[in-house]
Amino acid sequence: MPSVCFYFQVHQPFRIKRYSFFDIGKDHFYEDDEKNQIILDKVSEKCYLKTNRKMLDLINRHKGKFKISYSISGTAIEQFEKYRPDVLESFKDLAKTGCVEFLSETYYHSLSFIFSKDEFRRQIEMHRAKIKEHFGQTPKIFRNTELIYNNELASVIEKMGFKGILCEGVDRLLNGRTPNYLYQPAGSLKIKTFLKNYSLSDDIAFRFSDRNWKEWPLQADTFASWVHQIAGNGEVLNLFMDYETFGEHQWEETGIFDFLDYLPKEIMSHSDFDFKTLSEAADSYKVRDIYDAPDFISWADAERDLSAWLSNTMEKEAAKRIYALEDRVIKSENKDLIEVWGKLQTSDHFYYMCTKFWSDGDVHKYFSPYDSPYDAYIYYMNVLADFESTIELFYKDKKEAKKLEKKKESVE
Amino acid sequence: MPEITKPAPVKTPDLPKILMLGWEFPPVINGGLGVACHDLCIALSKYANVTMIIPKSNPDFVVKNLNLIGLNTIDAKTLRNIGFAGENYKKLNKVHYIDTHLNPYYNGKTAGNQPLDLKSQYLKSVQIGNETAEVFHIEDLYGGDVIEKVTVFGKLAAKLACSLDFDVIHAHDWMTMIAGMEIKAQTGKPLVMHIHSLEVDRGGPNSKGWVYQMEKHGMEYADVLMPVSHFTGKIIHDYYGIPMSKIHTCHNGIRPVVPFKGEKLFKEKMVLFVGRLTRQKGPEFFVDIAEKVLEYYQDVRFVMAGTGEYFNPLLERAAQKGIAHRFHLTGFLNLDKVRQLLSIADVYMMPSVSEPFGLSAVEAVQFGVPSVISKQSGVSEVLQGSLKFDYWDVQRAAQYVLALLNDEVLSDKIKEDAYKDLENISWDNASQTVIAGYKKFNLIQDKVTS
Repeated sequence: MPSVCFYFQVHQPFRIKRYSFFDIGKDHFYEDDEKNQIILDKVSEKCYLKTNRKMLDLINRHKGKFKISYSISGTAIEQFEKYRPDVLESFKDLAKTGCVEFLSETYYHSLSFIFSKDEFRRQIEMHRAKIKEHFGQTPKIFRNTELIYNNELASVIEKMGFKGILCEGVDRLLNGRTPNYLYQPAGSLKIKTFLKNYSLSDDIAFRFSDRNWKEWPLQADTFASWVHQIAGNGEVLNLFMDYETFGEHQWEETGIFDFLDYLPKEIMSHSDFDFKTLSEAADSYKVRDIYDAPDFISWADAERDLSAWLSNTMEKEAAKRIYALEDRVIKSENKDLIEVWGKLQTSDHFYYMCTKFWSDGDVHKYFSPYDSPYDAYIYYMNVLADFESTIELFYKDKKEAKKLEKKKESVE
Repeated sequence: MPEITKPAPVKTPDLPKILMLGWEFPPVINGGLGVACHDLCIALSKYANVTMIIPKSNPDFVVKNLNLIGLNTIDAKTLRNIGFAGENYKKLNKVHYIDTHLNPYYNGKTAGNQPLDLKSQYLKSVQIGNETAEVFHIEDLYGGDVIEKVTVFGKLAAKLACSLDFDVIHAHDWMTMIAGMEIKAQTGKPLVMHIHSLEVDRGGPNSKGWVYQMEKHGMEYADVLMPVSHFTGKIIHDYYGIPMSKIHTCHNGIRPVVPFKGEKLFKEKMVLFVGRLTRQKGPEFFVDIAEKVLEYYQDVRFVMAGTGEYFNPLLERAAQKGIAHRFHLTGFLNLDKVRQLLSIADVYMMPSVSEPFGLSAVEAVQFGVPSVISKQSGVSEVLQGSLKFDYWDVQRAAQYVLALLNDEVLSDKIKEDAYKDLENISWDNASQTVIAGYKKFNLIQDKVTS
């Protein structure tokens, strides 16, 4: 009896403002509060509230048989807390149904695994606490930023006690096999890997409104019939996508909400099919084969690797510089410094610096708040310059405070 | 007196036949128009039979060993003598020279067959050794009785055109518009106007003089307009009221060069500006940007290569701001000298107010110099690898210059990206776009498909 697993990514970065060279040393507030709020408001109205309402309705209508999973980044939750508590409430309502699972990820939606395992674990713990606080669940399944994944990651995650991990079903690694089973990561023993079925996922996430697509307009029953084709050759169908697909990337006018409205019914019209949260699927199905990913893969761009964030010299330089600060920042034990440092790690900052202009460049441009990848880099590096001097100032002040104290002591 | 050249039999009947009308042509170059026309023609001759009509004067006035070659001295012989793209000329099917007594002799009142006796305000006596030569100063190319010049050129070109066989008339800028219109009126052949520069670029948006009227009238009369950028296409639409449906953008190409690395005789970094010192090029913004940058970064020199009516005001402005010790005006420099500067520059700056294309920025790329260019330029459409600002946004431009001076990663990355852009900037691409335009508007038959 095959199961369909929906997982939706909810993420918003704290975008940094057009922080100019002339601001260095004068302005220590890096975020573009106005833009962040405007975007969150827009996406809340177009996507989060509407889709959450639809999901709640579907769960109620199907009497608990429709199940979904979310991963919400820490930065997104912070923004809900700050600007849109109503959205946060609607996610809590979903959590209460018992049909919704919340996954684990790095708090800042960061690339930390690549640069620092300590920081990576710290962010997972932070995120775990945040999810527990709002949704009363402790995540059992992990998904890394933009499905960045390799064997080593799976092994680290296994050691942290997770029972499942998500990743992209990359053709070259599947080598003719289907993504529709649970796999065992090479080098791990217990943890189960969920592979995204990118073909069916992208039919919804990317192609749905494409009028040049031969399947346009896509109807729920057509899509369900494709899903049903896996019967006999698959157990877990993983439909992973950005939550913003609903209403934001695919506007309401495209009929995406109507599609969603009929989809559970159409899929369950085949009595063998059901919906499961990822934890339920991990408990219900055995691994069928080994998935060997020695190198990093991801769900981003055509390359499905790290090139969306770390392909050019600017991205590499910026990442190198921010992670070089780890020791100084963590040892400062200063809450503000640690928080700013965390937010500057959000992968989006690097995504905006991407210069793969040609086919994927358009997607990067769509999401970027800046005029060019160079601007993204320049503002980021200006911020970093200010942040570095703030850290140094902090240590200098601390040293002087100590000196002063010693002086006092000796006087006394 | 030389006769008007009779058309030679067409060599390759399959290729479309283009009648080009040019004004500037090497070696008489004022701005980039002459080079652009020349290089486009050469590249286009691969895809079409090109016949070029340009103004011409009496070849007797060629003076040996004189570097300054005036409009009057242009003929095939001169071009060969000075070795300017001699081989390339053979590729052109024909270059026709009309004996118009136009430049510099024509004064409108004594039109006739006695050019040698004419007196003109544009004539200048030059003494070289024992010889006295009268030449035409290129700065005066567009001055004075230019209306009559272009009108007479038009009439004579039209007369010549009647004896030629061609499919399309292809005129360049307002100087040849009358000629283009006359020929279209007489032959009924479709008229394409290639727009390299407009009065609105040169004089600002309030230009409403004769040239503006000429351009407007000409572009309304033309069948297709080929501006050198979308930026210029938009000006044609916005300021001249021409429908976008008539506009087909053809970005310029550039001649390949072999870049070299020069030796810099000072330790400071260098930010370079190359261009005429006129309103259009925004030179005063360069001074303001320099001032802003120098506040934060002292080890840098700002160099302006070029001359123009802003020369003295700029000098004063720099002195007034107290940055004269880091600010250098070179005056007019020839191509070799400009290239030497490019070979040692660290940043190229183009703050143009209205730049139809801006080939100099591409030259900077050829020399591996990262560029900071205004968005009000055509070249910004083809150079991904550059930092772009609105010409009035001095803060932003200064920030970019500082970023490039401070950050080698950024500077190298922009160089690298710009090199990739260079692959698509060629006269061959430009001429293919021209041909595609002819086909798109059904001016010529698509021989391949038919």
